[in-house]
Amino acid sequence: MKKSFLALILLGFMSGMVVSCGDDDTNSFDDYKNVTDDDDDDDDDGGNPSGNDSTIVVRDSLAISIVWDGATAQLTGDVDSVTFSQSGADVTITSNTDKFLELTLSGSTTDGSLLVNSLKKYGIILNGVSIKNADGPAINNQCGKSLYVTLADGTTNQLEDGASYAESVLDQKGTLFSEGQIFFAGTGSLTVTGNSKNGIASDDYIVVNGGTITVNVEDTGSNGIKANDGFTVNEGTLSITVAADGARGIRSEARTTIAGGNTTIVTTGDCDLSDSEDASSAAGIKCDSLFLMTAGNLTITSKGDGGKGINCSDTIKFEGGTLVAKTTGSNDDGKPKAVKGDKGIIVSGGSFTATCNKSWALDNGVDSETVSDRITIIGTPTTKTLEKRKVIIEYQ
Amino acid sequence: MEKRLIILLLTAFTVVTQGHAQTESGMIMGLEVEKKVNKQIGVGLEADYRSRNDFKTTDRWSVGLNADYKLTKWLKADAGYTFLNTNFREKITTGTSKTKWRPSYWGGRHRLHLSLSADHKVWSNLRVSLRERWQYTYRPEKEVDRWKIDETLKTKTLDTDYVRDGKAKHQLRSRLQVEWDKKRALFTPYAHVEFYNSLAVEKIRYTVGTDIKLGKQHSAGIYYRFQDMRNQDEEDSDPDMHYLGVGYKFKF
Repeated sequence: MKKSFLALILLGFMSGMVVSCGDDDTNSFDDYKNVTDDDDDDDDDGGNPSGNDSTIVVRDSLAISIVWDGATAQLTGDVDSVTFSQSGADVTITSNTDKFLELTLSGSTTDGSLLVNSLKKYGIILNGVSIKNADGPAINNQCGKSLYVTLADGTTNQLEDGASYAESVLDQKGTLFSEGQIFFAGTGSLTVTGNSKNGIASDDYIVVNGGTITVNVEDTGSNGIKANDGFTVNEGTLSITVAADGARGIRSEARTTIAGGNTTIVTTGDCDLSDSEDASSAAGIKCDSLFLMTAGNLTITSKGDGGKGINCSDTIKFEGGTLVAKTTGSNDDGKPKAVKGDKGIIVSGGSFTATCNKSWALDNGVDSETVSDRITIIGTPTTKTLEKRKVIIEYQ
Repeated sequence: MEKRLIILLLTAFTVVTQGHAQTESGMIMGLEVEKKVNKQIGVGLEADYRSRNDFKTTDRWSVGLNADYKLTKWLKADAGYTFLNTNFREKITTGTSKTKWRPSYWGGRHRLHLSLSADHKVWSNLRVSLRERWQYTYRPEKEVDRWKIDETLKTKTLDTDYVRDGKAKHQLRSRLQVEWDKKRALFTPYAHVEFYNSLAVEKIRYTVGTDIKLGKQHSAGIYYRFQDMRNQDEEDSDPDMHYLGVGYKFKF
């Protein structure tokens, strides 16, 4: 008995060691394609919101044309190389090849959309298209890599979302939403209307390199443009109007750069008082990191109560270009400021104008009754007007 | 008699484990060496091996040292250290649009414990004991694989440099045991229930088994254990377990 019990234990040990050598992980992901974050290193622009290195290295490419016609859409081209589905005029494209996907959109629909899942960066050419989606974004890009939006020469394009969105497991943060970066280019025009959320939104950064882009967000919506990781304008014309209380023309949670182009922003909303402890004011540009302007034209008018022109929780550096920031709203619930940089306002070039009909034109975080304490001026400007509600600095 | 008892335990184990589809089964195998230094002090060395996933996956192995001191005839104190090499289960986190998968991995843990045990013979050969044990377990941080899963594209991307944070945990274990302790008997059958407390009851173990005296210095043991998991941390959740345990002990 004793021997047999000892033998049982030894047998148990040995068989246990041999049998229990597997793992109990799910095998669901075994067949999934293994990709690496640096797959695009050869032409990567990740982490560079300036967009100056956004040249596309074209591998083999796929070209698909989508033409909307009312309640339907027609897909032609390399459709056999991707997976696609249609529900009326709602089109979903899934591409997991290494090839560069180029989608050309045209036609018109009042109840359609485009949803794209792509393994690699890809491009959309807006070639005279009008998409209105009654219950979600007009274009929803679920690819975390770059999306190149080209506005075809001579075309006018329109995107509009619905008054409410259908529930989805996917993020859908605006009329044109992208998980990855968005680069705008081209010479055509695009009008984006937001009825429910942001006009254009990216969970990465946004760069405008061309085109004429108009963004109108109704008072039922939110910001004009929302970017998590930065926003840059290099060229092109950008016109933004937002109406909701607390809405921002451009909401950037990282660095914001104006390096060219013509940007006009109008906000009409008052302070958002829905949070009783923290009223949130509307602003032309609201950014959480450095605001830098080196060239181009930027005109901001903030008309609502307590509205801001530029509201930056970091430093504002103005080195060139022309800035006109104006607030015309009252100060019942908030304090309007034309230019507010919590860690400083530094002006060293260009033409800088900030006006305000209530409160102070400038706020650099220093609580001083002297205007010159509220701004750092580098060099010798040719014009220097420093008044409480009007500041003009100009260099030759 | 002996064979019948073992067969009975094995049969009970088979029947119970087949009745619970949501649980897993596993084996615990233990080896223990104990040295009595004098009437009051003893030291021991033990090794432990466990499996899970219906015996198919090694769950952990451990080695430990302990020392005990008999404070009175009925009260004993005990302290020890155990190193546990654990096969941590995989974890799948599903977000609104992203899934993250951390495969299972091997990692070490360190455990210290302090115990007080009291026992009392209540009737004839029936002995009741209560053990209160505080244990502290530390899991050092470790760089492990984690994958970002795209269910739509059917792709996975390795999340490089992912570090699973270190974690410390205090638990109070309370064990109440009854045993039939008859002198010179071959078998010492027992049953106990043990609660694991860490602000809330996290685990309850129900064990029934017997020690088998193989000689003056040698003994073996066999038992069935059901481990009922409750109020677990989300990141350490384990299923309920049925264990078949065997052990060998050498005293000198």
